Amino acid sequence: MKIAALAFSNIRRTPIRSILTCISVLIATATVCIVLSVDRGYTNAVQSDLVEKTGVHLYITKEGCPIEAAAVIAQGGLSPLYVEENKVELAKKIDGVSAVLPFQLFTATAFDGSRTDIFMGVTQEILNIRPDWVLKEGTWFTDESSVILGAEMAQIENLSIGEKLYSEQFDREFTVSAILQRNYSQDDGIMFIPLSTAQEMIRREGRVSAIAIKLDDISRIPEISTILRGNLPDDYYVLGAKELSDGIMGFFAATRMIMFVMVIVTFGVSIFGIVNTMIMAVMERKREIAYLKCVGARRNDILHLITIETLIICITGAFLGVIIGLVMTPFANNMLKGLLIAYVPSGSIASPSGQIVLISFSLSIITGVVCALYPAWKASSIIPMEVLRNE
Amino acid sequence: MSNIISLQNISKEYTRGCEIVHALDNVSLDINQGEYMAICGPSGSGKTTMLNIAGCMDHPTSGSVVLEGKHVEKGDEATLAEFRRTTIGFVFQQFFLIPTLSVVENVELPLLFSRKKANRDFTVELLETVGLGHRMNHFPSQISGGEMQRVAVARALINEPKILLADEPTGNLDSRNSKAVIELFEELNSKNIAVVMVTHNTDLAARCRKVVHLEDGKIVK
Repeated sequence: MKIAALAFSNIRRTPIRSILTCISVLIATATVCIVLSVDRGYTNAVQSDLVEKTGVHLYITKEGCPIEAAAVIAQGGLSPLYVEENKVELAKKIDGVSAVLPFQLFTATAFDGSRTDIFMGVTQEILNIRPDWVLKEGTWFTDESSVILGAEMAQIENLSIGEKLYSEQFDREFTVSAILQRNYSQDDGIMFIPLSTAQEMIRREGRVSAIAIKLDDISRIPEISTILRGNLPDDYYVLGAKELSDGIMGFFAATRMIMFVMVIVTFGVSIFGIVNTMIMAVMERKREIAYLKCVGARRNDILHLITIETLIICITGAFLGVIIGLVMTPFANNMLKGLLIAYVPSGSIASPSGQIVLISFSLSIITGVVCALYPAWKASSIIPMEVLRNE
Repeated sequence: MSNIISLQNISKEYTRGCEIVHALDNVSLDINQGEYMAICGPSGSGKTTMLNIAGCMDHPTSGSVVLEGKHVEKGDEATLAEFRRTTIGFVFQQFFLIPTLSVVENVELPLLFSRKKANRDFTVELLETVGLGHRMNHFPSQISGGEMQRVAVARALINEPKILLADEPTGNLDSRNSKAVIELFEELNSKNIAVVMVTHNTDLAARCRKVVHLEDGKIVK
């Protein structure tokens, strides 16, 4: 017989208690797995949306919180922030700037509240600035009432090139000139229209939501950002795409903090459960442990026995916890997407990885070993004579 | 007969609350190979303390314990554990069987700590000696109290000890099972294994070749 077999046999003696302890480890491990997956997924998705996919290196915006403005737009309002369109020329003159895209973003909610359409007024510069913005079929705007539909939008509306699209809110008819290739970002659900049409629809001629800038060399972001700031009025901001994503991550920080507190609480409960179970097991088996020492068990043998018992519970709980965590991740993704208000990235916001699985698993095992220390030490310190004498 | 354990001028004191208990007072005793001995006396006379000191489970306050020619009265835990593994077998009033292990696994349990590989033939032989060859794969909950004590005896013998120390081995058994256990002890003793038992049972003591009476920590006869 091996010491692991004896440990396993001891665990089987109190099956319900062992299963409950195992479940507490499972919950803690699954929570770590999900929280780390969400943390990684959200960071990657924001980074991908705002830095990698857009191809935008700098934004010119107006003073105020751009995230708050995004939230206003997302809820069907009109952002109070706007940038004068003439700043486009100023940006184009700066050495190192390769493309400048002014855009106007707004939403229109149906009178009965049943749907919200997202419009984005753009210029042809979008083709130079956005590597993932590709026409799948059709051509660039042919006139002021042309519309280029995101792939999802075209699918929902069941529209093809040349067909008409009526906007009830603006009492305006558009002709589909092109449909975009699906890029799994928010573009898929947007109606792109000429910038001038967008400005006219919301009566903001000469004004845009922001100006996106692409540089020849990304190492010059700080330098060109400083030059732009120097040339713009005081109430203008120059934001790096990275800063924007960091800002959104800052907004996400509170949620992140709550998630990590959740992890600490579940681990606290789990630690309490493990220590409680093992101390009870040791106290109940005091005389038996004393007997094992009588028949020659060394202090280390008892230490190993109790540690292995704890580890069996923790490894089982951690293994199942990782599986449950991975199974639950898509559900966490959908649930959180519904809960996030400020910024919902296009990609998956829960993205598990081998490293996360390893961290979750290891954390539970390390916790198990730490939890085993006191009960194991207590058991190994049993003096057979004292136990038998007190009997 | 060669000497296995020699207790020389052993005294043992311990504190219970604020009271100092003189469990043994300058007692000496030799246990030889093939000895069949009973230690008797009223409760609190020091019988179990004497057995525990002889079995390397406790240190005396003063005096010497010589086990196979080696002084072990001041031995550290590892040294005493080594003697307990190799030379001594223990049987207690409680059987201390692991309920989730089968009879055969319970018997082989001490091998786990002596780092010896189990020899299943020898285990089967032991179980047949104690009359439980047909109960090998049963669990403790499936056998009677007398059978459990016989499993405990077989377990005590798995490391082939020279001496069997038993503390009230029939204390939890009815007369029929008590008789069976005692007959087993006698059979083992006939194979030159020393058997020393602590007992209140005068009938049982009467069957031993040597009886030591203790009173107030002293050997009175």
